[in-house]
Amino acid sequence: MSEILTINNLKVWFHTRRGTFKALNGVNLNLRKGEVLGLAGESGSGKSTLGLSIMALLPSNAIIVRGSKIILKNRDYLKYFELFPEEKIDRKFKIKKNQKIMKHIRDFLAKIRGKEVSMVFQEPMTALNPLLQIGYQITEALLAHSSINLAKRILSRINLTEDDVREILKIVKSSKNVEKDLNEFSKLKKLDGIEDQVLYILNRKDLSTIRKERMIYSLKEKMKNPLTMSYLKKIAENKSIGIYRFLNRIPILKRYLKGVLIKEGYRKAIELLAMLNIPHAEKVVYMYPHELSGGMRQRVSIAIALANNPDIIILDEPTSALDVIVQYQILQLISELKYKLNISFIFISHDLSVLAEVCDRIAIMYGGRIVEIGPIDKIFYESLHPYTKGLLRAIPKISKDIKTIESIPGTVPDMRNPPNGCMFHPRCPYVMDVCRNKVPKSIEYSKDHFVECFLYGE
Amino acid sequence: MANVIIAAYNLKKYFPVGGFLFSSKQTIKAVDDVSIKIKENEVVGLVGETGCGKTTLGKLLIRLIEPTAGEIFFDVPEEIIVEYEEALKNKDTKKIEKISKRYSFLNKKGGELRRMRRYMNIVFQDPYSSLNPRMLVKDIIAEPIISTGYASKKEAEELVFKLLEEVGLTPEFAFRYPHELSGGQRQRVALARGISTLPKFLVLDEPTSALDVSIQAQILNLINEIRKKYSITILFISHNISVVHYMSDRIAVMYAGKIVEEGYKNSIIFDPKHPYSKALISSIPRPEPMREKIIINLQGEIPNLINPPKGCRFHPRCPVAFEECGWTADEVFQDIEYIIMRRYAEQFNGIKRIYIEDDFTISVEYEGKNLIEEKLKEVLNKEKQELRSLISIKNIKSESTKIKIELYKFVEPEMYKSKDGINVRCLLYREKK
Repeated sequence: MSEILTINNLKVWFHTRRGTFKALNGVNLNLRKGEVLGLAGESGSGKSTLGLSIMALLPSNAIIVRGSKIILKNRDYLKYFELFPEEKIDRKFKIKKNQKIMKHIRDFLAKIRGKEVSMVFQEPMTALNPLLQIGYQITEALLAHSSINLAKRILSRINLTEDDVREILKIVKSSKNVEKDLNEFSKLKKLDGIEDQVLYILNRKDLSTIRKERMIYSLKEKMKNPLTMSYLKKIAENKSIGIYRFLNRIPILKRYLKGVLIKEGYRKAIELLAMLNIPHAEKVVYMYPHELSGGMRQRVSIAIALANNPDIIILDEPTSALDVIVQYQILQLISELKYKLNISFIFISHDLSVLAEVCDRIAIMYGGRIVEIGPIDKIFYESLHPYTKGLLRAIPKISKDIKTIESIPGTVPDMRNPPNGCMFHPRCPYVMDVCRNKVPKSIEYSKDHFVECFLYGE
Repeated sequence: MANVIIAAYNLKKYFPVGGFLFSSKQTIKAVDDVSIKIKENEVVGLVGETGCGKTTLGKLLIRLIEPTAGEIFFDVPEEIIVEYEEALKNKDTKKIEKISKRYSFLNKKGGELRRMRRYMNIVFQDPYSSLNPRMLVKDIIAEPIISTGYASKKEAEELVFKLLEEVGLTPEFAFRYPHELSGGQRQRVALARGISTLPKFLVLDEPTSALDVSIQAQILNLINEIRKKYSITILFISHNISVVHYMSDRIAVMYAGKIVEEGYKNSIIFDPKHPYSKALISSIPRPEPMREKIIINLQGEIPNLINPPKGCRFHPRCPVAFEECGWTADEVFQDIEYIIMRRYAEQFNGIKRIYIEDDFTISVEYEGKNLIEEKLKEVLNKEKQELRSLISIKNIKSESTKIKIELYKFVEPEMYKSKDGINVRCLLYREKK
């Protein structure tokens, strides 16, 4: 499997009045295409900070230390910025200059955020805007990155001829691999975007075949007025929209220009929501977040994350606020999407039993470092690091003879002045003299199973 | 015989909502007809989805809110409970009145009630909002001691230090404010307040759901220690079933304001009877990635408790629901309308309107030929698999220009006893006549 995201020696610190808070201290991580990587650890171990740094959503007092690398699809995007080296971060640290650098990084990543990497947050109630309709919130994400696609979808419906429809129906009836054939057909006829719409109709379960055929026939749309048409064509061909930028500010004209795209966004939103098994998606797009239940809201935030076909989705405790049954449905949805769309997920959670349900690999974080990473069965059945073992012992297991659960003594270290050597040594039951002075290096214990601990290796 | 710490019978709590001037008020039936019995030194776990009334029930049992109807006994000898239950069965109103007059917890008032409060306490879910930010930790812990008259102010101060040690905190924590503590430490303070008056009965309302896994383990073990030391009876409310299984002796499963299943923990976890608990327990995430998964997926959501479904409240989501589970004309009407007007609209051209005649009959008016009845029968039979509500159709009669669809009458399920000591509220387990 090819690697889609590589993080090398990532150090993210926070400048505070009471000293530097060292949230991440050299994280090495790689994410492969089409896998779910679990990220586990206690609160304060830096899981969420890692997620936010990939998205470049860090607050302005954050410092990315020189030498950190985040390589997304073979592009190291931190390379372009002059980051502060480690030794310069002291009392005379220039905060203003750092804030400028952080702002540049944030602005630079705005192009990538949502399109290549997107994120789902823990609390769907606070992540969604209570004043906007669900459909509009999804449309917003679409307009930001793929207004080209929206314009193409509209044009494809307008350019559709009666013969084309007949051909599509023929493909639908006879072909074995409808998806592939439709793709070829739309490329041949230059009707990009029609295949999504046809497939959505075909995948609907609540309609009889006759109705579906009728709906495919009714896809054809009338020609719009010349102003709208030229606007759409310009967007579809990715040309600069020039004068339309000003026309879009005139309310009446806006209805015919941007309004058309927004309407199309709602249409696409319905398709996205239906893909996530939301019943009555046609009604849901016109609802507001408070009208939905917790599970539905979380599905909507996943839909927003999915809107632009990203390669990576970061899920930050997506199920912590949900009930078991709803949680299971969301987990099932994630594994379904993994197979269907070949997206990579980073699943952040403090609950190892949730990670056990969906992940391919699990990384255990402690004190801003990844102390153990490996395939799921290795982590659960042959765990190496004392911290991983401790976490596993702390989960109550359902079995007929109840074993007492054990907690890890002590608390997460204060990252303003973290312990020397291995971060875990003050709490570790196997602590040795080496652990107090030296930071352990990552060792490949068995294939694909890495651990940072002096107990293993020479 | 040991005492029964809490025995509640037919407990109801309806919260009024809406209503303006003369318009009628609606009620949310948060807890509806719940009976629960907890013996001395027992830990009972209460599980269920959000909004099913777990917390309300916990608060009702210690009278933090007053029930709308029902009866609660607190710390009563078992003989009396047996006597009361018999009287309930025989509908011996005189005896019921006599017992409840003497022992009922609901009859206690004023000073007597306040003195009794010593014997019960509650620990809330969120330690960030349950501790007063303006009070020192020592005042937080001492408050119930003083207000219930368990000890004087001076003695209370000494007790506070003893309690802090008990929950694993050093004495200097007494002079801190809640915001200076971490989540685990706060929950320890909340627990110290909970046991400050040596209660007999403690309600733990999701005590660990806001905490990390390793801290959760610390708190759970601490609760177990304290419980054994002071022999406290506990009602453990949580939606995390593995935690409830770890802590409790018996488990009660709640759904939409009713207890649907109740019994010893292993029989409930490993062999659940009610379809809802089956689905709930099958979807617990487990730290065993290689296990074989057999998971029952539930459709739909927890029902609106203003107008809960008739009969068994679970029937609209139940994968094995049958004719008598509680289908009413409203539910069936929606599905029939959907079939006739949308899904098979091409086949039913002559239909004028569909309406509900009474609770168990739906009428379909049509014009023209008489073939519709046959077609309807065929379609409804075909769709039975997917739309479970159609199962409740008893027969389809045709009368001149309309077709009458009659439904089965529903049966309200009661608590039925199954073999291994589980009480189930499901018609599948009722005794056959």
